[in-house]
Amino acid sequence: MDDVAKEAKAFFIIGSNTTEQHPVFGTMLRRAVKFRGAKLVVADPRKIDITEFATLHLRQRPGTDIPLINGLMYIILEKGWEDKSFIEERTENFDEFKATVMQYPPEKASEITGIPVEKLYEAAEILAKNSPMAVIWAMGITQHIVGVRNVMDLANLQMLLGNMGKAGGGVNPLRGQNNVQGACDMGGLPNVFTAYQPVTNPEVIEKFAKAWGLDHGPQTVDDKTLSIVNGLSSKIGLTVTEMMPGILEGKTHSLYILGEDPVMSDPDTNHIRHSLEAIDFLVLQEIFPSETSVYADVLLPGVTFAEKTGTFTNTERRVQMVRQAIPTQGDARDDWWITSEIAKRILNTRMKDEGGRMNEAAQYAGWDYKDSSDIMSEINALTPSYGGITHARLETGERLQWPCPTLDHPGTPILHTKQFTRGKGKFMPIDHVPPAELPDDDYPMLLSTGRVLYHWHGGQMTRRAKGLMQVYGEALIEVNPNDAERLGLNPSTCLASGQAPRNVVRVTSRRGFIEAQAWITDRVPPGMVYANFHFPNASANELTHASLDPVAKIPEYKITAVKVELV
Amino acid sequence: MTNKKILYPPIDPEIDKLAQHHGGTREATLEVLKDLSADHKLNQTTITEAARALHLPAHEAYGMGTFYSMLSLEERRKVLRVCDGPVCWLKRSTVDGGQQTMADEWSSMVNGQWSVERTSCLGLCDRAPAVLVEDEQAGPVEAGEIKKICKGWRGVQTDYSKTRKGEVRVMTALIGKIDPDSIDDALSQGVYEGLKKALLSEPTVVLAEVESSGLQGRGGAGFPVGRKWRFVASEKKTPRYIICNADESEPLIFKDRVLMDTNPHQLLEGITLAGYACGASEAWIYIRGEYEYQARRLERAIEQAEAKNLLGENILGSGFSFKIHVHRGAGAYICGEETALIESLEGKRGEPRLRPPYPPTYGFRGQPTAVNNVESFCAVPHILKNGAEWWRSLTDDSTPGTKVYMVLGHVKNPGLFEAPFGLTLRQIIKDFGGGMTKGSKFKFALCGGAAGTIVDKSLLDIPIGFASSQKGISLGAGSFLICDQTVSPVSFLRELLHFFTVESCGKCTPCRVGTWRSLEILNHMASGQGKQGDTEELKTLAALMQDSSFCGLGQSVSIPMKSMLTHFGAEFAKAER
Amino acid sequence: MINLKINGQSIQSEPGKTILQAAQAHGIEIPTLCYHKDLNPTGNCRMCIVEVKDWRIMQAACVTPVWEGMEIQTHSEKVEIDRKLTLELMLANHPQDCITCDVSGECELQDLAYEYKATAPEWGSKGTRYPVDSDPNPFIRVDMNRCILCRRCVSACAEIQVRDVWGVAKRGFDEVIVAGANTAMLEARCESCGQCVAYCPTGALSNKMNYGMARAHQVTKVTTTCSYCGVGCQFDLLVKKNKVIGVQSNPNAPVNGMALCVKGRYGYDYIHHPERLTKPKVRRYLLEGKKKEEIREQRVVNRKNSPTDPLVSSPWDWVNVEWDIALDIAAKKFMEIRDQFGADSMGFLTSAKCTNEENYLMNKLARQVIGTNNIDHCARL
Repeated sequence: MDDVAKEAKAFFIIGSNTTEQHPVFGTMLRRAVKFRGAKLVVADPRKIDITEFATLHLRQRPGTDIPLINGLMYIILEKGWEDKSFIEERTENFDEFKATVMQYPPEKASEITGIPVEKLYEAAEILAKNSPMAVIWAMGITQHIVGVRNVMDLANLQMLLGNMGKAGGGVNPLRGQNNVQGACDMGGLPNVFTAYQPVTNPEVIEKFAKAWGLDHGPQTVDDKTLSIVNGLSSKIGLTVTEMMPGILEGKTHSLYILGEDPVMSDPDTNHIRHSLEAIDFLVLQEIFPSETSVYADVLLPGVTFAEKTGTFTNTERRVQMVRQAIPTQGDARDDWWITSEIAKRILNTRMKDEGGRMNEAAQYAGWDYKDSSDIMSEINALTPSYGGITHARLETGERLQWPCPTLDHPGTPILHTKQFTRGKGKFMPIDHVPPAELPDDDYPMLLSTGRVLYHWHGGQMTRRAKGLMQVYGEALIEVNPNDAERLGLNPSTCLASGQAPRNVVRVTSRRGFIEAQAWITDRVPPGMVYANFHFPNASANELTHASLDPVAKIPEYKITAVKVELV
Repeated sequence: MTNKKILYPPIDPEIDKLAQHHGGTREATLEVLKDLSADHKLNQTTITEAARALHLPAHEAYGMGTFYSMLSLEERRKVLRVCDGPVCWLKRSTVDGGQQTMADEWSSMVNGQWSVERTSCLGLCDRAPAVLVEDEQAGPVEAGEIKKICKGWRGVQTDYSKTRKGEVRVMTALIGKIDPDSIDDALSQGVYEGLKKALLSEPTVVLAEVESSGLQGRGGAGFPVGRKWRFVASEKKTPRYIICNADESEPLIFKDRVLMDTNPHQLLEGITLAGYACGASEAWIYIRGEYEYQARRLERAIEQAEAKNLLGENILGSGFSFKIHVHRGAGAYICGEETALIESLEGKRGEPRLRPPYPPTYGFRGQPTAVNNVESFCAVPHILKNGAEWWRSLTDDSTPGTKVYMVLGHVKNPGLFEAPFGLTLRQIIKDFGGGMTKGSKFKFALCGGAAGTIVDKSLLDIPIGFASSQKGISLGAGSFLICDQTVSPVSFLRELLHFFTVESCGKCTPCRVGTWRSLEILNHMASGQGKQGDTEELKTLAALMQDSSFCGLGQSVSIPMKSMLTHFGAEFAKAER
Repeated sequence: MINLKINGQSIQSEPGKTILQAAQAHGIEIPTLCYHKDLNPTGNCRMCIVEVKDWRIMQAACVTPVWEGMEIQTHSEKVEIDRKLTLELMLANHPQDCITCDVSGECELQDLAYEYKATAPEWGSKGTRYPVDSDPNPFIRVDMNRCILCRRCVSACAEIQVRDVWGVAKRGFDEVIVAGANTAMLEARCESCGQCVAYCPTGALSNKMNYGMARAHQVTKVTTTCSYCGVGCQFDLLVKKNKVIGVQSNPNAPVNGMALCVKGRYGYDYIHHPERLTKPKVRRYLLEGKKKEEIREQRVVNRKNSPTDPLVSSPWDWVNVEWDIALDIAAKKFMEIRDQFGADSMGFLTSAKCTNEENYLMNKLARQVIGTNNIDHCARL
């Protein structure tokens, strides 16, 4: 982030409300614009705060990122602004890609996105002529049924301009939560072990089976007989967005949830509630009773970050220490301890039942950890990119970004400097696919969802912070002044003088409705409303739908058809 | 607080229009605020709106709105600004002893349509006691005449057309000989001939001529004008700018006003010549807000000069294009300091900048900028017209050329005159001031300006120049306030400190608190409540302000303090108990 | 390189460095107040003045560049007298209540006054000019009486947060720091990041949430990483008697330096919130050996009753239990389901809010112990 903020000559922020969602990084960008004169192009349907600093704000229609990016690339190619030597030396599949881009002349891109042609030209010029240029994106790009395509198209743009593997360039996803990166790195995904080692790779299976004392090696798994002790599953598992519907389909019978609140954070809350009502057994490990705990059978009190020691990995792959500052509260216990106690109990019983077929002598078979640094040693051994990242090194003040394979490796601040992971960067031809649910006669408006500066995710923590609630104490629904007038809202909420009159709107989608105070503002374009999911009494996810990106299985939170009425 | 989000409606259309009218950028801020203030509409809401229209943080506009004394956020009626300068004070020093200002006295005498405010020296010392009626200069005005003032009477203009014995008039030569509003008059008397001549030579030749004339800046510091221009001309960065410092706010000084009032084209010619020599394209005359009358005169003159192609595009076919703007201040002594002036011109609070870099390298808008005093510019056309040799030949003194002086206070014939350097105070009083007034005996004089030296009779015969301050008598901007035996040194110093306290910008600790505390002590001493150690504390504070203040203002407060204490220590000792 | 002498000691410095930087690089201390290394120096307070040979007036070390042959005295008698006097001018208008002031012990003004034996003179306002706690901001306590007009808050807001809330109003002795057009901070578009508090050298800007809760020497500081977004800011948790009472910037934080956002700096009070889960709980039916199918109906009924009403007993009630019981039940039920429906009937949601170590164990539990790859977290959400 430091290199991006300090060295980029231009930024392209698309689908990231940076100053509200990643505030400190947002201020770095503001500084770059204000004091270093860096150019900033923001593409966002909403007039988010950072647009105040933008050289240019493109207000594309929601769900038209691909035509926008393709349109920009068309102009870049038309003007000959592409980095020809980078394309030649570092990439492949350019011609096929180009053929697709050529389907998006500016006039067509403009028609789909609603952005005037001249603004597209202006944006393309800024992005192409200021190198290095950094693309910054977040959930606004991924939370679409075309999330993966969006991401690939942004990579296309950066390869086209030769901005990959450069300090101050690259594609820079901003991870939504403190340790999303770490959760992914640590194998918290259905298809990979730690460090993205595929569960489908026999060598990887062999490695983990051996380390974890499952010395019978890999075996093919059919649906009924299941390997428990004698092998690891090589079948790609279910994503969260598949597990939930799986409950009602009779596929998922139990859930062990660590510090998550699906009722608040998953799409289509009603559906989630039905699913959780039906589950056979739900263990929830949490710090607060949550909307989800209503459905739990066992509730295990974990601890906050102030009570634990371990590591978080930030959005730029920087691994940093979390240090215990206070004793665990009440009878709450370290989350690692709870998990390992459950594991030990299952293993002990199973050992008896199944005749001790596990090789207990294997180095990492057991679960007797002294502390979290002990766990990190195991991670070091089994996770190539984390091989050299130990608590001891971090405690001496070393600043480590993975990959850091060995104890003497200094870490890697910038990826792909010389080569892409797969060798040459492959251009992917990407076509536009309209969003899954668009406004129609019954639900004529469009809802987008997200967070606000003062709250965070399901709001479990921030709703329990007094000051934050004083500043932002209830759900607000952003409504454009034009729509407000049409809906008969009291326009005096426009005034900066505060003390807004009650102006409650009901937003209804095919799945549910919420009622909350309207915030009349031109942050949202006409025809669009914006809601957050911080408050259980008016969570946007009552309305959202579970249409998923086919690859990443991310729901399309950003586009829901709704109708809005004055209450 | 809940949900009290800042929702931004469109900017108030009237204020937006006003902002666009003045250019729509930060530099227009002062103009916008002045207009709002003049319409009695300056308040937190309009300031916030103006800031939005000008793309400024609200605090910056508010910071300005509360910095300049002519702006007011308070409900006001028509404003009478009563001068609180030392000369005006002296005119009524019978009311002395306390801290009651003339404004206090007057405010009970006007009807409900008027508000009365005190103001620092209006630069109308030759018309003392002086008043600013809205934006019209008036004086002399005695308290009894206040009703006349409210009805439109403005007192008497001083006539400078008569040359005093011993004067050498160069810059003041045309006073009374031309109609200042007529460019034809000016042209017929040879104004712009220096420019016409100069445009035939290369800028380097013009620069060399000014350099060899040895012209020194007339603002008070005496920095060689040619050298400053050389710095600017040799900077690679363009555009370069010229700024005329017409923020004549130093108490006792009004020469620039007279020069602008009586011969505005002379100044425009000088500024244009500076632009030509420095390779600049634009100039600003930063004129104090209290000189609205003179500002309008300059604007008329600029219009006339542009019509005659003596300004504007391709002047007289020379290929040289030059524009002059008039920018009005809004009441802040500190803006006479050149970097504070630049800040103010850029639409900020008039606080001095860090130096280095100096304006010739990093001035207005960060570009190379020459800042000179009105009088300095006025000398230039004559140098170009008659040659550097001629300029040097005007005097035997080591400082070439002439200087416009002011003599004030208890002399028979106060006013303004022009003469070469090297005069003694005795000459100034006797030869030019006509001697002390009847019944007056010389006690002390304030020399140069409020930030000048106090001298007693021991220094009457020292020739005064830029270097004489080392001997205890300063030239400054060339004004001398003569005080007789009736004036109390303690009260006089109190007046000066009152001025500095009001005008301190507040940026640095020693000046911000030092002036205030010095005034507090002097208030006590002047009202018979002095106590032992007061003089010592004044000395300590003076030394601190001199040593460690941020800018010249704070540093020079110590000059009158120290010299007063040196010469009249006994009277201060008396005031201690 | 530029050669100069500080206090008689010959040193070399890169051109363009200030006297202060050159001195600090050679371990020579010069007192400062308005200066902070993260912010553009302004030279306001005049604490860092030094004597430069052949210069009439003192130079502020924080803004004066070094030049060849410069000879500097940083602690001459004259300099020390002026510094002490300058401090006294500040103290004259500063409240004389260090004894109850919240930042006593970490106040730069207090430290310098102590060092210079500067005391408040008899005159001055003694800090009675402004209302105390004058801004309704829920996080930031404003007491302009304690302000020494160093303007660090103005710089921090403009240069670090780039929000430009704070500014300077009026002039001379009346000069005062204001938010926006002298409004409440939030109205001046404050984002409550608290950068101004972090940079304030006195108690003029302090934290409301822990006002009066602890003196600097009473807290332990524990450096840790923020638990909100993915930027990875680090800061110090302030701990007193086993309670987190505040968050303080840690200048060595790799990503963010002194900067934090409103959630990171002020969103910590959930840690000790009374609703924290502190006991393992299981539903009563699990203790009674019932099956979930049998009690589903009762569960719905019960949800309509007060969950806290002790008179209403239902199999769906929460019962606080010992860890062993809760863990045994969890393990047993997991094994039952695995045996009955297979490992792939079980799902594991690990957490983007938990540590790497905890996530690793969830991955190991699902894969090694249970034998399923049904593990995911909310990266997608």
